[in-house]
Amino acid sequence: MSGSLHDVKNDVWMRAVIVSVILLSVGGAAYGAFTVGVGTVKHNDWDAAHHDLEEAVASWNTANETGTLAEQEAAADAWHEAHEADIDAHLSYLTWVTAGKTILVMMIIYAAFYGISGFYNSIQPEEEDDHHHHGDDHEEHHGSASPILMAAGIMFFMIGFPGFVNTCKSLLGLDYQAEMGDFGMSVAGAAIMIIGIGNWWNEDLKGHHEQIATSAPFKGQDIRKAGMWIFLISETMVFASFFSSYLRMRTGWCTEWAVNAGKCEVVDTTTASDLLRHEIGTLLPGAINTFALIISSYTIVLALKTAKDVNWEPSKNALMAKLFPTRKKAVRNYLIITLALGSMFIVLKLVEWSHLIAEGFTIDTQAGSIFYVATGAHGLHVFIGLLVMLFMIFKADVLENGYDEHNGQGIEYFGLYWHFVDLAWVAIFPAFYLY
Amino acid sequence: MGEHKYTGPIAGIFQKMADIIGKDVYYVNFLILMFFTLFEVAAVFFETIPGTDIEITRTAVWGVLIVVGIIKGYGIAAFFMHLKGDPFIYTRTALFPVIFAALMLWGIGLSNPAGIDQLPDWCTPNWDYSYVTE
Repeated sequence: MSGSLHDVKNDVWMRAVIVSVILLSVGGAAYGAFTVGVGTVKHNDWDAAHHDLEEAVASWNTANETGTLAEQEAAADAWHEAHEADIDAHLSYLTWVTAGKTILVMMIIYAAFYGISGFYNSIQPEEEDDHHHHGDDHEEHHGSASPILMAAGIMFFMIGFPGFVNTCKSLLGLDYQAEMGDFGMSVAGAAIMIIGIGNWWNEDLKGHHEQIATSAPFKGQDIRKAGMWIFLISETMVFASFFSSYLRMRTGWCTEWAVNAGKCEVVDTTTASDLLRHEIGTLLPGAINTFALIISSYTIVLALKTAKDVNWEPSKNALMAKLFPTRKKAVRNYLIITLALGSMFIVLKLVEWSHLIAEGFTIDTQAGSIFYVATGAHGLHVFIGLLVMLFMIFKADVLENGYDEHNGQGIEYFGLYWHFVDLAWVAIFPAFYLY
Repeated sequence: MGEHKYTGPIAGIFQKMADIIGKDVYYVNFLILMFFTLFEVAAVFFETIPGTDIEITRTAVWGVLIVVGIIKGYGIAAFFMHLKGDPFIYTRTALFPVIFAALMLWGIGLSNPAGIDQLPDWCTPNWDYSYVTE
């Protein structure tokens, strides 16, 4: 058995609601502090910097009309400085506002996911629980329909997605034609997807025998593990297609790098790395994100190691013993740290995007398109991983023994996905940020 | 988890380092990943080797990025994803897409402008490009 719903107490839904409220409070607090609080201060600074810039431009115009050459040069320098200060103030404002808004939106999604799914799991009939607990120890497991249900939901959602976006824009009063058929298909797809995820979650909480492959090439191996690796093959191909597109386009561009290497003479394309790699301030978010993913890969390994360790004991270090007092809480807290690091990754990524967009590096160029699609697809993978991690935290929290040596393989299989995301970043970071 | 002793030319080095500092291989791997990431960022950020006038050339940066990428990829796949220690079928599975990735890269060689006359012969099918180059 890999855990049992029988262990899930009746207060599950209450716990889910409380955690949701905490998540919403964190989101609200971050929005209030960063977007409203610091954001307002930073906006005032930006206004002041912009005012200084306008004055500098006016002074330069005056100097050009009536001043000496020295006065003109001084005015030009002042204009340049004011322009730099204006950009810095704008980017600083964007940093705080984007961070606050991103945290709020993420916390709302986390709260909805945690709250609704937690509640969904708490209303399952008791007899079903009993049946599983007593009846299936030697019962053959017939697999689950939930993954294909979820996949079908995603398919319908994506088919209707372009029309869904246009309809949302239309509902917001923008000049777009509503496409209610596609909108309905997307909404139905989303509903099917949520039911699939909820059902999958519920089945996993109940626990089940690990299915073993009975034929080559994976004979004797856990089917879920083999399935995860097959899934990762397909993911590798997705990212390989991004890379080949990028490299194909990149070899045709005359970039700053190519000019410095003597390959061509005049820069015709600015890449994201041209804007990011020269200053520590612009490179920092990407670099911090790289470290965050590596640390999160290590914390998920620690969660698995702790879950599997039957002789686990609290650390002799007082702080560590407080943070990780029992095996169950240690696993849960390692997962929470992983979630926090992954969430930080998303926040920093969007802050970085906001800076790039403000500097004119938008998706409507070839370089912008491949950069945002590749890094966006990676960010989406991180975010989906975070939602799965929420479920794992929930499971680690509500099952009587949490994750242990019997059901710890769930962390291992999810860990494979999370390490893959880290691995993809190992390639994306140098290719898109450093090269 | 953790008790497994890694052997082999590279994994053995990781294991030896772990034994020396009295930690497990995951910890050593984590430290190595952190160090090489720092190294990677520094190689791009600095134009000369700090404290010297020696210029860090583009070729050197390329070399660093590729070598560090391979080391980090190995560390994550071998130890964090347990390919080193799991049955070999998983390594074969993980390497399967490499065939397609290689084909894609070859496709890049065939289809980019430099493919006509600037890439090595082995990258191109040696068609007659005279109508383009003349």
